[in-house]
Amino acid sequence: MSQGDLLHVVTEDDISDSRRMFGHGIVWASALLLAGIAIAQYAQVSGYADFGFQTWRPTLYAYILWSVCLCWSKVLIYGEHGKRVLFVLPAALFVVSLTVFPLLFGLIIAFSNWNLASPLGRQFNGLDNVRQMWADPFYWNALLNMVWYTLAIFVEYAIAFGLALLLNADIKARKFFRVAFLLPLMLSPVAVSWMIGKSMLEIRFGPIARLARWLGWETPSFFGSPEIARLIIMMLDAWTFIPFMMIMILAGLQAIPKDLTEAARVDGAGPWKTFWEIVFPLMLPVSITAVMIRIIFKLKLADIVINLTAGGPGGATDTVTSFIFREYRDRSNVGYGTMLAMFYLVLIVIFMTILMKLADRFSRPRT
Amino acid sequence: MKVGLYDQLMRRGATRRDVLKGAASMAALSAASAAGLGALAGPAMADEALRAQILQIPGVGAGSPTDADWQKVGELCLGATKASVKEGEFAGIELTFMGLNNQNLHNFLFRGFLKPWETYTGAKISWIDLAQADYNARLQQSIATGTVDFDILEMGAPFEGDTASKGLLDEMPDWVKTQVDMDDLVEYLKPPVGTWDGKTYRVTVDGDCHTLSFRKDYLTDSAISGATGMTTMPKTWQQMDEFSKKIKGQKDPLTGLPAFGFLDPLKGWGGFGFYFLEDRASAYAKHPSDPAWLFDPDTMKPRVNNPAWVQAIQDVMDLIAAGAYPADQINADPGTTAFQQFLAGTGAGLCWWGDVGSMARTSNTSVVGDVVEFSINPGSDRVYNSKTGEWETPEGGNFAPNMAFLGWGVYVTKRAAGDENKRKAAWSAAAHLGGKDLSLWTSAYPSGFQPYRKSHFNFDEWEKAGYDRAYIEDYLGSNADSYNHPNAAIEPRIPGIFQYYSVAEDELAKGYAGQYKSAQETADAIAAAWEKITDQIGRDSQIKLYKASLGMS
Repeated sequence: MSQGDLLHVVTEDDISDSRRMFGHGIVWASALLLAGIAIAQYAQVSGYADFGFQTWRPTLYAYILWSVCLCWSKVLIYGEHGKRVLFVLPAALFVVSLTVFPLLFGLIIAFSNWNLASPLGRQFNGLDNVRQMWADPFYWNALLNMVWYTLAIFVEYAIAFGLALLLNADIKARKFFRVAFLLPLMLSPVAVSWMIGKSMLEIRFGPIARLARWLGWETPSFFGSPEIARLIIMMLDAWTFIPFMMIMILAGLQAIPKDLTEAARVDGAGPWKTFWEIVFPLMLPVSITAVMIRIIFKLKLADIVINLTAGGPGGATDTVTSFIFREYRDRSNVGYGTMLAMFYLVLIVIFMTILMKLADRFSRPRT
Repeated sequence: MKVGLYDQLMRRGATRRDVLKGAASMAALSAASAAGLGALAGPAMADEALRAQILQIPGVGAGSPTDADWQKVGELCLGATKASVKEGEFAGIELTFMGLNNQNLHNFLFRGFLKPWETYTGAKISWIDLAQADYNARLQQSIATGTVDFDILEMGAPFEGDTASKGLLDEMPDWVKTQVDMDDLVEYLKPPVGTWDGKTYRVTVDGDCHTLSFRKDYLTDSAISGATGMTTMPKTWQQMDEFSKKIKGQKDPLTGLPAFGFLDPLKGWGGFGFYFLEDRASAYAKHPSDPAWLFDPDTMKPRVNNPAWVQAIQDVMDLIAAGAYPADQINADPGTTAFQQFLAGTGAGLCWWGDVGSMARTSNTSVVGDVVEFSINPGSDRVYNSKTGEWETPEGGNFAPNMAFLGWGVYVTKRAAGDENKRKAAWSAAAHLGGKDLSLWTSAYPSGFQPYRKSHFNFDEWEKAGYDRAYIEDYLGSNADSYNHPNAAIEPRIPGIFQYYSVAEDELAKGYAGQYKSAQETADAIAAAWEKITDQIGRDSQIKLYKASLGMS
C-alpha cells in the first residue's frame, strides 16, 4: 500500500485469510450459479432440454445475486478500500446490464434474418444484412440527407449566436424575450409538425400559404419539391432547437468578464474587432460544446420527418432514423433494421471521435 | 323473447303473465300456420322501433355524435347481452382491448358503446389506442415477442394469417354466432373470411371495399362541363384521367379555389396507401377468369410489374406530369385526400372506404354532403390477362371493385381463454360491438365502419332516419354493388401483407418523385422488393396461404 493511499484510510483493516477466502468463495459460487442457470435456460430455449423455466427471470435473479456477491466480496477482501469501490461498482454493473448486454443482444439480432411475420423466427444469416445494406439505395440516400441536415447546424449556430448577442445586450424587455425565445424548445417536435407543418403550411387555408399567395406565389407548395421540402424540415427543426444553442451561448456570453471587452474598447477596438478578437475566441469552447450536442440531437432527427413527409418526396427528406423506423416498424424487418441501426451507431462513434479531436485542437488558445 | 322487447312491453303496461302468454301464443301460431307470421310481427316491430330509435341519435344533420350518444346507443342495444349475461356476472373481471384511434373513432366509439355493458356486467375494460400507422408494428411485435397483452383485439381480416395461423386467437363460441346473427353478413364476409382451418374467430364489425365518391356539381357546372365535355360520372379510369386533365384551370363551384379532378394519394400511409394504387390497378389487372391479381398463385412471383400494374402507375405519373393534382399532392396521404381535401371541398372525386360517404352527410367537417354521388370503383376499357400475356377489350369494360382490407373485426385472444368467466366476458363484449342493431348505427353515423350486413341495405330505415332516399340508395348501392360484384378483387390474407404494401409505398414515392426512369422501372423495383420479402417469410408457406385465401386450394 502506498503512502498516498494510507492518508485516506480511516481504520486499519485486519483481514483474515478465512475472510478473504469467503469473499472469493461467494463470488465464484454465485458466478457458477449464474453460468449454470444461463446455460440451462439457453439449453431450454434451444430445445436441448426442458428445465421448466417460463421466463428469463431466473437468469436475471442469478445476475443480481452475483452482483451483490461481487460488491460484498470487495468489502470482505479489501476492507475499507473495498468500501470505496462500492461507490462506483453498483453503478458500473447497472450500466453494463442496461447498455452492454442489450448491445450484445442487438449485435446477435443484427446478424440475423428476422422478419416478424416469418413462421421460421430468427435465423443467423451471417453478413447477408451487411450486403443488403451496402446495396440499399434508400439507406445511402438517408445517410446523404443526414450530411445536409448536419451542415444546416452551422447556419443554426450563426442565428443562435446572433440571438444570444441580442439577448445579452442591454435591450428593453430582455427577460421577456429570453423566455419567449425559449418557448419553441419546450414544444414537442410532434406538436411542431402538426401545428406548423400540417396547419400553418396547409396549402389551401394555412396562414403561411395565404401569405405566400398574397406575395404572388400562386400555387404555394411546401413539400412538393425535394429541395423545398428538405429546407422546410430543416427550418422546423431549427426553429425548435435554435433556442437550445442560444441559451448555451448566452450563458457563455454572460460568463465573459466585462473587463476584457471594456479594456478592448479602451484600446480602441470597434464592435466587430471586439467580437472577433475577444468574444468569439472566448466563446469557442462553449460554441463547440453547443454544436456537438446539437449534432447529436440532429443525428436522431425523425419525428418531424415521420409526421410530415414520411421521408418523401422520393426520399428527399428521409433521415436514417425515419428510414429505420419504416423498415423496422412497417415491415417488421427486425434483423435488417437492427443492422442498419448498428452501422449508424458505428458511423456516429467514428464521426464524433474525429469531431472531438478536431474540436480539441481547434479550441486550444491561440498563442 | 328478447329482454329488450320484454322491457318494452312491460313499459306499455303489460303484465309479466301477459307477456309470457303472448310469447307462447306467438310460438303456437307460428308453428301452426303461416297466419302465425302476423303474431310474429310483434318482435319484428319492436326491433324496428329500436332501430328507428337509435338512428335518431343524434339525428342525421344534427352534427357529429358525441360520447353521450355512443353511450345511449350502447345502452339501447344491450338487450342481447342481458339475455345471455346476468347483471354483475363479470364483476371483478378486467379485460384489455387493443384497437385504433383513427379520427377519434373506433376505440372511442367502443368505449361509449361498452360503457353501459361494463355497468351492467361489472367487468372493467382497459384500452390500448393505436394510430392506424402504428397498428401493424404493435401487433407484429406482440406476436413475435410473445407479449400479447390484450384480451380483445380490433383487427382486420388481412392479419388473420399473422394471428390465427399462430394459434393466438380463441375460437368463437356458438352462442356468440347466434347472438351476432352471422347469417346476416354480406356474402363476401362469410367464411373463409374470419375463419382459419375451419374455425371461426371473428365478430365482424365492418365491411370494407373502396367505392368512388364523385362531386355532382362538377358535372352540372357549365364552365367545368364545357371544359371536360362530361355531364355524367366517369365510368372508367381512361375517362377519369381525361376529366382530371381537362378540368385544369377551372374553379371549384363550392370554394371558388382551383378545381381538380381525381385525388390520388401519392404519399404512403403505413402500407395502407398501396390500396389506392390497387383501386386503379384492379381494373386493369383483375381478370374475371383469374382470382389472383397481386401474385402468381403457383410461384408467388409478383404481378405488380406486369403491363396492367405498370399502366396504373403510368396513369398516375401522367397526371403528375400534367399538373392535374393540387400542389403538394406528393405529400398527401389517404387521410389528407379524404378529410382535408375531398370532404373539405377540394377535388372532384376519390376512391375511399365507405366512411367518406357516411361522413359526407353527417360530419361537421364535410362541405360536400349535398353534392356527392357514389358508384363502384371505375373500370377500364381493357384488361390484362396474365395467363395469356395479352390485353383484352371486354364489351362494356372490365370492373373489379377493390375489397380493400375486408373490414375490421373484433377477436378474442387466447390470453382471455384461461379463465372461462373471463373468456365469456370477452366474447360478450365482442358480441355487443358486433350486434345487429348497433351495427346499423355504426354504418349510418361517423364510426370508421361501413355497412356489412344484408340488413344494412334496408333503404326504408335510412330514409326514416332522415337520410335523403336518393342519396342513400346511391351510397349504399355502391357498397352493395361492390360487395356482390362477380369480379371483386379480394385481399389476400397472407402473413406480412402490409410489409409488401409498405415497401411498395417507398418505391412508388421514388417513382412519383421522378427518381426512376419509368413506370416499368418503378414496378420492377417493387417486384424485386416483394420477392425479397417472400423469400424471407418463406415462399412455400406463402404460396399455400395465398392460394387458400383465394379459395384455390
